[in-house]
Amino acid sequence: MRLQVVLRYLGLILLLDAAFLFLSFLVALLYYDSSSIPLLFSSFIAFLLGIFPLIFVPKTIQVNNHEGIMIVVFGWVLTCLLGSLPYVLWGSPFTLTNAWFESVSGFTTTGASIITNIEALPKGLLFWRSATHFIGGIGIIMFVLAFLPMISNNKLIIFNSEMSAVAKSNFQNSVKEALRILVLVYLGLTLLETVMLWVCGMSFYDALLHAFGTIATGGFSTKNESIASFHSLSIEVVIMVFMIFSGIHFGLLYGTLLGKKPNIFKSEIVRYYVLSMFIGIAVISIVNHGKEYPDWGSSIRYASFQVLSLGTTTGFATTDTGHWMPFTKLILIFFSIQCAGAGSTSGGIKVDRILIFFKSIIKQIKLLQHPKAVVKIQINKVILMEDVAQSAVLFIVLYLTIIFFSTLFITAFGTDILTAFSGTVAAIGNVGPGFGQVSSMANYGGLPSAVKWILSADMLLGRIEVYGFLSLFMIKSWR
Amino acid sequence: MNIRLKILSGFLILVLMLLVAGVISIYEFSKISNKVDKILNENYVSINATKSMITALEREDSGILLLLLGSWDEGRKVLKKADSAFIINLSIASRNLIDEKEIALIKNISKQYTEYKKIWKHPIVGTKKEHNFEWYNKNLHHRFLMLSNSIQELTMTNQNIILNYAKHLKDKAQRAVMPGIIAIVSALLFSFIFSFFIHFYIANPISKITKRINDFILYKTPFEINIDTKDEIKSLADSIKELISGYSKNAIK
Repeated sequence: MRLQVVLRYLGLILLLDAAFLFLSFLVALLYYDSSSIPLLFSSFIAFLLGIFPLIFVPKTIQVNNHEGIMIVVFGWVLTCLLGSLPYVLWGSPFTLTNAWFESVSGFTTTGASIITNIEALPKGLLFWRSATHFIGGIGIIMFVLAFLPMISNNKLIIFNSEMSAVAKSNFQNSVKEALRILVLVYLGLTLLETVMLWVCGMSFYDALLHAFGTIATGGFSTKNESIASFHSLSIEVVIMVFMIFSGIHFGLLYGTLLGKKPNIFKSEIVRYYVLSMFIGIAVISIVNHGKEYPDWGSSIRYASFQVLSLGTTTGFATTDTGHWMPFTKLILIFFSIQCAGAGSTSGGIKVDRILIFFKSIIKQIKLLQHPKAVVKIQINKVILMEDVAQSAVLFIVLYLTIIFFSTLFITAFGTDILTAFSGTVAAIGNVGPGFGQVSSMANYGGLPSAVKWILSADMLLGRIEVYGFLSLFMIKSWR
Repeated sequence: MNIRLKILSGFLILVLMLLVAGVISIYEFSKISNKVDKILNENYVSINATKSMITALEREDSGILLLLLGSWDEGRKVLKKADSAFIINLSIASRNLIDEKEIALIKNISKQYTEYKKIWKHPIVGTKKEHNFEWYNKNLHHRFLMLSNSIQELTMTNQNIILNYAKHLKDKAQRAVMPGIIAIVSALLFSFIFSFFIHFYIANPISKITKRINDFILYKTPFEINIDTKDEIKSLADSIKELISGYSKNAIK
């Protein structure tokens, strides 16, 4: 592995961070707030550290697979580290641990926060906080690949390292075309939602930042009580619609828009995704009716928003689900584990793998009944390769194992089991709110520092999709 | 880019990092120092003014009691002096307002004092009010106490502002120190990267060139070397290659 090559690409990532930090600085200047110097200084440091490898390392060097993985993993870690600088520089309530947690939560689009009084933060810093969602939603690496000139073979290797095999399945185009689709859909949805939220009564600033949070399936709000602060049904409906879109493979959305195949109407995965959400909303509405909420309207309204918010890994809130019944909490935890579609901005296991998992079980039962039969798993009428199905099931097992061990470690620091388990699920799935101490209207600020570091690692594991992150610890096997 | 510029850019980045961090730290510290001066001075003046207001108010009360006892000249003299002292100190306190609570308290004190003054401004000596302590208790004494309490509240507010600011100083100091710490850590990281690049793109190729020349001299192995960069090292390698190939051709002839 050539360190200089990795450093060159990390430099490009830092330059992109520097650009967004500078944009946040301009926002801080516009509002004349106290975060302007922290943002400018962070941008300056990112620029200097990013530009230097470009001066020394020539651009004609080819990237290999190992270097691709290193670029992706270290790119994420370095971005999160740099993203915490404005927080640390701004000061209270951001200790080193809190700043790292907030930054990782932003870039991984988790949306879990340590801040108690969000509205007291300066607007520039809040803009940076939401910008981390915007950068992380599509993936900092994808941004670099899409906007910076690079050799196409290098793009392919880094693209493959960043995007999971499941997500790549609906991009039946070249890397360049896939990147173009990703960026176009991402920017288009963000712009459209901003305008719609603005029309619904949000200020332009709030509309833009909430659009960043929705399309990136992040969940950082500019208000202490998240979306509940706006008391507006129209705003909730707009956010719900865009949360659903953000949970669908961008390639499918693009295909639908252009009337091409594959599109959302022909996708078995989208059908399962919508159906599971619908069942979840229906069950929670029925259970909550008469107990949590007196009328059907409120019951359906809050159930819809919370299921869509957790099921798409966004994490916005319109009510405190912490006081809901254990049954409904467990349904929400299921959605926090399942999450939305691959190729979207959401995290977690992803509905694609869950569908493969269910089909693998059916296949196994059929094989028990007819041992000599040739049973194949089909998704969208395409037969899946055996190794793809195996890999998906193995991923789920590994994912659940990590949840178990992470919960175990967190409880060792005195945290209660509901907080530990739901917090881990919310962190690794990049969802945000859990239950217990970290419910939808609470925050992660009260947890011990060690727990925040464990949860930050979970967030990164979830965002880089476990295998990429773990491969770092198996460098010997690369030789 | 040539080597000189590359190395220069490295040092320039290092210097810029530390310089900007230093400037920001100095700026933040001077901001703290100015604000501390302002807060301390303004609150100190304000606290002093409130103390003088209480003294003046007590003297006014004595003046009123003198009037009640029938001492017209002495009573009016004391009242005039105390009133003037009160108004001067109220004006000093009004000029040093920082907090919204302070503004509200000053407005309240001013209103209460106007009402208080309105009562004792009317003649007392030679009227039914003379020696009428019941009238004093009913109309003046409770107003005096209320006004006195409001002034004491203003003193407490000023003291609290100083206390709260002292707590905020910790945060502000951290904000001033942090750029320095971050610049030092970044400079350290940068130094590692810089030394790696110097080693990889300058020192290492020179060693390779030296080794290849020695190999040629000792074993007549062909001079083949791959240099990634397009700088003086590449030119040096190319020149040596040409020199060696020229020498080899001459040797064959």
